[in-house]
Amino acid sequence: MSDLVLETEKLDKIYKLEGREVRALSDVNLQVKKGDFISIMGPSGSGKTTLLNMLGCLDRPTHGKVILDGSDVTKVSEGSLYKIRRHKIGFIFQTFNLLPYLNAIENVELPMEGTKKSGDEKRKRARELLEMVGLSEREDHRPHRLSAGEQQRVAIARALANNPAIVLADEPTGNLDTKTKYEIVRLLGKLHIDQGTTIIMVTHDSHMASRAGRILFLSDGKLLAKEEKGKHFMEKPTCPNCGGEIQPDDTFCPRCGKRL
Amino acid sequence: MLVVIALGFSMAIMISIPAGIVANQEATQSLTENYNSTISNMQEEINKTATLIECRTSSGRGMPQGRPPGMPFGPGQEEVFVNETVVNEIRSIEGVKDVVEFLEKSSEETTSETISTPRGDFTISRPLYTITGAPLNSSFIDNYSILPTDITSGRNLNEEDTGVILMSSNLTDYLEVGVGDNVEIYGESFTVVGIYESTSQSIMQARGVYMNIIEAQTITGNTGNVSRLDVYAEDVSDVDGIADVIEAAYSDLFVTTYKDRLENLERMQEMYETTVENAESTLSQTQTVATQEIIIAVGATSLIVLFFMLYAVRERTKEIGVLKAIGFSNWSVMSQFMLEGILMSLMAGVVGVVIGIVGAPFLSSLLLPSVNLFPTQQQRGFPGQTMNFGTTLSQSAAAAPDLQTILLAFGVAVLLGAFGSLYPAWRASRTSPMEALRYE
Repeated sequence: MSDLVLETEKLDKIYKLEGREVRALSDVNLQVKKGDFISIMGPSGSGKTTLLNMLGCLDRPTHGKVILDGSDVTKVSEGSLYKIRRHKIGFIFQTFNLLPYLNAIENVELPMEGTKKSGDEKRKRARELLEMVGLSEREDHRPHRLSAGEQQRVAIARALANNPAIVLADEPTGNLDTKTKYEIVRLLGKLHIDQGTTIIMVTHDSHMASRAGRILFLSDGKLLAKEEKGKHFMEKPTCPNCGGEIQPDDTFCPRCGKRL
Repeated sequence: MLVVIALGFSMAIMISIPAGIVANQEATQSLTENYNSTISNMQEEINKTATLIECRTSSGRGMPQGRPPGMPFGPGQEEVFVNETVVNEIRSIEGVKDVVEFLEKSSEETTSETISTPRGDFTISRPLYTITGAPLNSSFIDNYSILPTDITSGRNLNEEDTGVILMSSNLTDYLEVGVGDNVEIYGESFTVVGIYESTSQSIMQARGVYMNIIEAQTITGNTGNVSRLDVYAEDVSDVDGIADVIEAAYSDLFVTTYKDRLENLERMQEMYETTVENAESTLSQTQTVATQEIIIAVGATSLIVLFFMLYAVRERTKEIGVLKAIGFSNWSVMSQFMLEGILMSLMAGVVGVVIGIVGAPFLSSLLLPSVNLFPTQQQRGFPGQTMNFGTTLSQSAAAAPDLQTILLAFGVAVLLGAFGSLYPAWRASRTSPMEALRYE
């Protein structure tokens, strides 16, 4: 039994646009180990979101396999895919996508609808999760009364509700200001360390990407061979230029003054 | 909210129309029953009194011709009397078994009343009451029906009663008197000993006073006079001969036999049938119209639900994407939207029931042609017989929705909600989560 949580084999995705074939993904072979914190970088249009949709069972590849937790999800029927989405995957979106008419705790409980958990168990689990993301005080606030960062934390708590094998985050910091971006990435890092959560984060922001353990690059639908090691395991973040100590939310290095 | 109100209106229509139909049906049915029982009562009465030859001094009663519709008495009709010596003369005719004489006299006081009919209002002036003086002789009382039989309180008149009267209930109601009270009739005080049921509540129904004929003759100044003779033949086969003799001998007597009465009954029956037919054909028209209107209302409701839910699904495409991405099954997305559609139409059902209860009579009279139950011609029965014909059923019977209709409406609301949101919900459930998430 390998410790691979997620693996893709020769993943192709071809869209047909006005009769023209557009190759969004081409021969992507990705291996994610349990406990990985991977960020996938690439310019817009490079196929990042397409890849994430394949991994998250929201879309099917044209060719190739997606093996999640040992089974090939491309062979699972459309009608049963929801079970995989529910139990194996946690999604975090750029625009948070909380349901506006539910409060924080109800949003967190949402993925547990239809599971065997009782109402009390769901509530208990949702409380735990909100506490984990530091929003215990806000559990009965509706999304419009929460800041963007708080909304994203609720979304993170929601993604973790069913203890998924892997968390997929699509530009989770794309709609946040600089300070909040770091908070969110730090939170993801903390979950990764504390809970051992496997995370794949897609971003085009190199600062955010560099917070992960592994950084992969996607270009024109192809996964590049180069792979960088992120700074995630550092106790304290340091300036990549001079190596001096910095705060996670610093924009410029206090020592050498270079933009981070 | 607007959608709910709009839906509510079509629900209200669905509630009101059946209520209106039921009301019209009931009205028509009670009309038919009323007519049937009247006809059969009359038939029975005629059969029982086959040997009776009625002789009257005026054509006022039992002869409908020459009287404007809606008028119980011809205008300014005079009451004529003959001397009671005629009684003995007639009694001596061969084949005559018995003759019972009556004095019928209207009061000098009159009342003025207005009757509303679909053809306009009639104001009629009629006597406050009509006295019938009957011979209170035990052989007559026992053998012939000379007095009303339907006593509701007190007692009937007995042999040789004097100073007492029997009154119809509509008169005691009008005068606000009861058994034991004294009432002044033609200047004399009489004690009410009994009240008989006037068979109709109609304003046309004569308000009657029965008393001893001798007293009636005295107080009205008609000593020795009579106005009506009930001649009884020994056998039905003698009736025609006796009637001919009486008609030949007394030109001032109007004679009717069972044959005339049967003829009259037939005329009346024809008229009833026409009225019932009219009512029924209007009713069936009404039902056709109602069916169309209900179909339209049902269709409109389904369409409103359909379009609103389609709109809702479109508006919430992104939400559907999110729900599916976090693990909602197609089925649970679909049931979610179905539930919302049903809930919406249930709410509309509540609005509809409220509008329906408040506005049903108005709505149903607006939406349905009303059944005109007013008889084409007012007719009255024969002497000694009370007719129920004057009862007019209100043309647009009050249409209040009953509990059953309301429950049905809720059932229909749920069904239509489910039906109307079926396709939108199915579409929602089929939405690709990826596309839905991209939707802004």
